[in-house]
Amino acid sequence: MNKTLTQAMALALCSSLAWGTASALDLKGVLKDAVNEQLGTTNKTEAAATTTPQSTPSAQDKLANINWKNPSREDEIAVGRNVTGTILGAAPLVNDAQLQQYVNKVGRWVASQSERADLPWHFGVIESTDVNAFAAPGGYVLITKGLYQRLSSEAQLAGVLGHEIAHVVQKHHLKVMQKQALLDAGTSFLKEKISKNKLTQRAVSTGAEISARNLDKSAEFEADSMGTVLAARAGYEAYGLAEVLQDMETINNNDGSVALLFQTHPHPDDRLAQLSQVSGDQMDNISGGKTLENRLYKLK
Amino acid sequence: MIKKSLFWLLTAFACSQAVAAETGVALKADQLRADTFSDAKVVGSVNKNDAVEILNKKGAWLQIKAAGKTGWVRLLTVKRNSAGGNNVAGVVGVATGRSGTGKVVSTTGIRGLSAEDLKTASFNEVETKKLESYTVNAEDAKQFASNGGLSSHQYPYFTGGAQ
Repeated sequence: MNKTLTQAMALALCSSLAWGTASALDLKGVLKDAVNEQLGTTNKTEAAATTTPQSTPSAQDKLANINWKNPSREDEIAVGRNVTGTILGAAPLVNDAQLQQYVNKVGRWVASQSERADLPWHFGVIESTDVNAFAAPGGYVLITKGLYQRLSSEAQLAGVLGHEIAHVVQKHHLKVMQKQALLDAGTSFLKEKISKNKLTQRAVSTGAEISARNLDKSAEFEADSMGTVLAARAGYEAYGLAEVLQDMETINNNDGSVALLFQTHPHPDDRLAQLSQVSGDQMDNISGGKTLENRLYKLK
Repeated sequence: MIKKSLFWLLTAFACSQAVAAETGVALKADQLRADTFSDAKVVGSVNKNDAVEILNKKGAWLQIKAAGKTGWVRLLTVKRNSAGGNNVAGVVGVATGRSGTGKVVSTTGIRGLSAEDLKTASFNEVETKKLESYTVNAEDAKQFASNGGLSSHQYPYFTGGAQ
């Protein structure tokens, strides 16, 4: 666990080094107050006055009031909902209620084994021949039909969903989006006064792309490692995700269905080698996991 | 029709070539077992970095040949040499009934998903509400797990160092 923490911190450190320009601006302190204002960390009353004063805030209002510096659980869910809805704008859900319910049952059970079991987890299979899966902040997970069709057991599905659940638990995408918002807030102030609403729009509009964009390699390896354990905790055969990665190895690199996946993730070869390294002999302590081939929902 | 047959013939040829050439390297020391379960009889062993031949695949197990001995190991024990997936499905692809692009070619008509698609997509409230309508609560998921004979365990996260 310590190791995981260290990795996460190293990741955060690497990322902040990458955004060195923004930090330099911040350090000067001159812009600090202005930036804080834009990020919603100060001046709550002013921010509230500029939005609709209805008692039940709409999804748009929630988005406009996100505290990017220190997002609440509700902020995180609002962001994730927007990112997910945008992906769904590109590829809708597969029109099969039984399939969607099945994936939600498996996913919710695996998510219950995580440190963020309290999130309102949502899972969906989207209409795309691509082989890919997406996680968005706050507990949203999507998997493509193209990937689902390659699965041969419920344990493999649990492994894939476990990987995405781990991204949410570790807030991998949320952190990238926060940095984007902070950077925008810092640099845009130099050029123009930008409304907080616009700032959020910009951060969220890139969110769908971010959900697919390459995270730090170590974030992907960490999600493989944690996802494997989450599926094992749920009682599944621990090698489900490894089997899926091995299957992905057999897809030609030039195949269009994996173009985005291979752009945004380390190659399955490297992921398997890393998983082997990180798990060491600890896989041997896990036994009695179920594969449940027969319960895997067959697509119509 | 002739073209199609020729395609499959070539594909089959490419696969058989790949199968014959499938090799790998042991990522860690492990025992070779007579069958695909963890308490099957030990029939040999493999050392870290040993060159191995991959003969077969079954679930999360690979049948390998190392130093003249043949046996089964868990798939994380061996890294395949045919890295890159360029036109070789190999033993693994054949065992899973796939040969490279076969699966993908058969499902044309539905679009893929590029980074550009995601960048230009706009929020779909109807689909988002639909997604949320399928949400399952923790209690129902637990019941579903129990129906499948699944029970939860307290395994810690892996603590091995990254490379």
